[in-house]
Amino acid sequence: MDEMREIYRAQGSLQKDFVGQISYTVCLPETYKELDICFSFEKQHYAPEDLTPERMEEIRSLCQREYQISMDDQKLRDLMLGEMKTEIHTLATLNGEFIGCVHRQLTTRHMHYTAEDATEGCIPVSPIEGVLRVTLLAFNVLLDDTPYTLTVSAR
Amino acid sequence: MYKRLELHNHTTESDASITCRELVEYMVSDHADAFAITDHNTISGHRKIRKLLAGEHFPIQCIYGMEYTTYYGHILCLNLEEYVPWEDINIHHPELLFQAARAKGALVGIAHPYSFGHPFARGCRFDMKVTDYSCVDFIEIFNNPEPLHEVNERGLQLWEDLVLSGEKLAMTCGMDLHGKWSMANQYATFIEGEPEGDISRELTEAIKNQKTCISRGPVLSGNISEGKLTFALTETGKPGYQHDSRLPYLVSVRSAGHTVTKPLGETFLMEEFDQDPVLIPKLFEGDTSLENLICVGSALCQ
Repeated sequence: MDEMREIYRAQGSLQKDFVGQISYTVCLPETYKELDICFSFEKQHYAPEDLTPERMEEIRSLCQREYQISMDDQKLRDLMLGEMKTEIHTLATLNGEFIGCVHRQLTTRHMHYTAEDATEGCIPVSPIEGVLRVTLLAFNVLLDDTPYTLTVSAR
Repeated sequence: MYKRLELHNHTTESDASITCRELVEYMVSDHADAFAITDHNTISGHRKIRKLLAGEHFPIQCIYGMEYTTYYGHILCLNLEEYVPWEDINIHHPELLFQAARAKGALVGIAHPYSFGHPFARGCRFDMKVTDYSCVDFIEIFNNPEPLHEVNERGLQLWEDLVLSGEKLAMTCGMDLHGKWSMANQYATFIEGEPEGDISRELTEAIKNQKTCISRGPVLSGNISEGKLTFALTETGKPGYQHDSRLPYLVSVRSAGHTVTKPLGETFLMEEFDQDPVLIPKLFEGDTSLENLICVGSALCQ
């Protein structure tokens, strides 16, 4: 059997507070039996050194303004380190048809397809050919220069 | 008969810990009449559940749906047969997505409108301004795991205010199930239906005619006749609900201008509500604090 071959690779970085999507359209050169989309990103959580007084004040003000919640420093730290995260979903279409979305917040995730099976969240497809579009849905980006990599492999 | 529906459930197809099979088996074990699959932004579980239900004859029906999980709010779609893209959602015009899903035959509603959003979880709170509620079919007024007062009370209030102002909106509730969480004494949605009736059609009929109700156990139904309003209670056998016979049932009826509360069994006179056209009945146990709310009945129109 042929080996999986990388047919597309993209890398980039996201800025803090970006909300929206970035789409990559790949015109598949052949008809394939198996397809794998891999997406990975870094900086999912704050590190302790990211909690600058300015950043903590920003989140404290937000909680007060939006939810009338006041927090002392420790509670705010717990929220920022334990609960807040960079959240990016991945969605794919083939020839305009939805073939899956991965909502689970994995920093490395695969969307894997054959005619009979697919990763949870995804729908098996056959034939695998035509125009693939992968969309990164950025719900929350905590930090500037958040790097990501997208690869598409097939055989 | 009243059918108990669990209308908000996730599986491992998005971020829950139970598979499609486990969801079906769990709903059967808790004696729900029907359940919805509403994974976040995917319909990949639909074919799996269709295959399970067709192959093994589980005594339950499924309502196929999805929870649109957008940057500015979550939107429950029921009877959704195909994926409708949401990615170009416009915070100022949410109606466009509601209309697009409806055009495919789906029922669309606002999920947990007052959940905490950013910085806790962006999108969980409904931050979009709806200017045309005729595009919306229902509001999820109780999302069981959410805080009672900070979230669910405000959802209930929103729905009541809209309905009393004349909007034709149904209400639902849900477990927002992400695992085998106990459903005992939690609110479920009830609709009228036939034993062998098609649940998708019955749900559509109930929602379009504002005939849903939510309850932890019994269903409260009202009847208006010759200037009088009376209520009946139907036991549903929902697991986990136990009425404390020492605490009397109270019925509270709210209209645009009045709220009248009486013990269950007493007759309300329509003149007590002047000419207010819409009435919302609620059943309480003991007193009318929200903690003691048992059932929100379907809105009644004079």
